[in-house]
Amino acid sequence: MEIKIGTKQILKFLYILSWIIFIGVCIEAGGFIFNTFYAMVLNPMGAENYWNGLDLSSLYNFDQGYFLVITFYMIIVAVLRALIFYLFIRLLHGKKLDLSHPFTIEFRNFISLVAYIALGIGLFSKMGMQYSAWLSTKGVTMPDLEYLRLGGPDVWFFMGVILLVISQIFKRGIEMQNDNELTI
Amino acid sequence: MPIVVNLDVMMAKRKMSLNELSEKVELTLSNLSILKTGKAKAIRFSTLEAICKVLECQPGDILEFVE
Repeated sequence: MEIKIGTKQILKFLYILSWIIFIGVCIEAGGFIFNTFYAMVLNPMGAENYWNGLDLSSLYNFDQGYFLVITFYMIIVAVLRALIFYLFIRLLHGKKLDLSHPFTIEFRNFISLVAYIALGIGLFSKMGMQYSAWLSTKGVTMPDLEYLRLGGPDVWFFMGVILLVISQIFKRGIEMQNDNELTI
Repeated sequence: MPIVVNLDVMMAKRKMSLNELSEKVELTLSNLSILKTGKAKAIRFSTLEAICKVLECQPGDILEFVE
């Protein structure tokens, strides 16, 4: 039996996958926000098991302000990651992606927006990474960047730049598509 | 736009409606309308050939350059 996998099926799969990832990153972002509030306001022990075994108690005991800054970077990056997937879900859900006329201003705006968000994630990850390195020089035992979810800022920068280039190509594609539509 | 499409003039001379022309040249009404109203950016030679054949005219009868 031959199974054909067309573009529609791939988009459907990506839509479902995006939802799963979106829910995951939302839970993570929500967890960061709640645990920061919990540790700062209700119970300092919350810093010991901050998220998925991440122990920030050393940082919390050293200085609550520094703890707040690191968690701020983590929250911003998590929220921006959730935002990317939200935008993608919104694009696919609203069926704004018409493959017979793919070069639309909406899709181009989506690509540009995701590019800027990716650059933002890269920037905040980089800042968080450098802040964490500075804290290590102060004698604070800092967990690995992967646990802080601040790793790989260069990858986000690369993605942002590539998407900006693609959005420029899309701009030209829109012009060509419009000309083609008005060619009788 | 400097290029003016005088399709309606030729259609009136040949006493042909847009619907009839659309059927004979095998173009959609919307495309013909785009051409007639001067919104078209380009026209294919094949389309021009089909229109000239049906309206029994020259390309210059349909397309005019105006400064």
